[in-house]
Amino acid sequence: MNLLQHVGRYSILMYQTFSVPQKWKLFFKQTVKEIEKLGANSLPITFIISLFMGAVMTMQTQMNIENPLLPSYTVGLVTRDTLLLEFCSSILCLILAGKVGSNIASEIGTMRISEQIDAMDIMGVNSANYIILPKIAGFVLFIPLLVIWSMFCGLIGGYFISLTTDLITPATYIYGIQYWFIPWYVYYSLIKSVIFAFVIASVSSYYGYYAYGGALDVGKASTNAVVNSSILILMLNVILTKILLS
Amino acid sequence: MIQLEDIHKSFDQNEVLKGISAVFETGKTNLIIGQSGSGKTVLLKCIIGLLEPDSGDILYDNRRFAEMGQKERTNLRSELGMLFQGSALFDSMTVAENVLFPLRMFSELNDEDKVKRARYCLDRVGLKDVYSLFPSEISGGMQKRAAIARAISLNPKYLFCDEPNSGLDPLTSIKIDELIMDITEEYKMTTIINTHDMNSVVTMGEKIIFIYQGNKEWEGSKEELFHAKNEKLNEFVFASKFFQKNTENAFKE
Repeated sequence: MNLLQHVGRYSILMYQTFSVPQKWKLFFKQTVKEIEKLGANSLPITFIISLFMGAVMTMQTQMNIENPLLPSYTVGLVTRDTLLLEFCSSILCLILAGKVGSNIASEIGTMRISEQIDAMDIMGVNSANYIILPKIAGFVLFIPLLVIWSMFCGLIGGYFISLTTDLITPATYIYGIQYWFIPWYVYYSLIKSVIFAFVIASVSSYYGYYAYGGALDVGKASTNAVVNSSILILMLNVILTKILLS
Repeated sequence: MIQLEDIHKSFDQNEVLKGISAVFETGKTNLIIGQSGSGKTVLLKCIIGLLEPDSGDILYDNRRFAEMGQKERTNLRSELGMLFQGSALFDSMTVAENVLFPLRMFSELNDEDKVKRARYCLDRVGLKDVYSLFPSEISGGMQKRAAIARAISLNPKYLFCDEPNSGLDPLTSIKIDELIMDITEEYKMTTIINTHDMNSVVTMGEKIIFIYQGNKEWEGSKEELFHAKNEKLNEFVFASKFFQKNTENAFKE
């Protein structure tokens, strides 16, 4: 299947997905479930990754600054801006593409091969709308919280290094992360993450929805979902950076 | 009643259905039989609307499917009940939630009555005390029963079963067959069953259509099945020598 066919089928699926829910009550109920499953359940992994990445960024920045003219608070500043600009949106979403993307694709793929989606279609339920829309809505709604949580955890990771090593003092680190703060970087990060969350949820749903065959094919669909979501995130990252920061 | 008029269906160059016409009567268990790969499942999927035939038409009580608009088709779907080969219960929902699902989507009943209706359907198929269990926590036979309960929850006019006995032991298979027959009579439905299980054919075959390589090769009742002069049908029916001897004797008696 060529790229244009994929784009065509994806567009048709999104058209079906973004129709008015047949039962709003069930839609809200499903969305809350997805917020818990895709969003809230990602808080622990986000905490661990961000904490350690924040710590490593602080150490590496300090170890690689050799110019005596650069003030020591630069470490905090660089850690903060790296977290805000790239890590907490792009890198976090790449990691979540693996966790959330494979979860969505395998769940929907299993529903497809076990004929659960066919069962919904026969009943007259818009299966794409019922299954996919709450996933997209839930993940897109929750991603800003994950990003802010990631920023917080990353900065805490750096602070932990300032407390436990002699690379930088806590006071200098705190000063550095407050120095020359540009609020737009937070918004930039949130805007990017919302778009990336949509890409992860919709592309993974697409691969799951059109899975066919057996368990092996669900695995393939899951892999394709993660790989293609990641590629799209990287490409969109360039475009969004150009648009939002230039 | 469901009528098929010259149904053709191909996948790429492979013509799977080569012009099938048939009538499935109301209040009867209509069987589509044939070897694996003969086109039974494709035919059933065309009838229920999961696949669009290349040509030909399907009439549901004289309503032409091809001429229906989107709204009419959606309305028609609420009149269909389907029992899938693998039950196709939603594994994220409990047994009761599975039966409640079509009611929540389409019924105008209040919440209390929906629950009552779901319990009635589950009781009707002999499933008690499993309301709060998940499909993975019950046996294959119970899953089939739960799927039947879900299929009848909206009082469908048409019931479709795709190999309802696959993966079940003979005793459970007979119970499922009897349940389908009872429900067909009770709800006055048009039931179409896709099977290659000869025990089911003998039990339920009020009207049988034999499909061979995409063509309707033979049509008749279970009584006529064993006296048919069709070579391909006999080859299929009497594939098991044990079955041949016993069923012939049973019909002679």
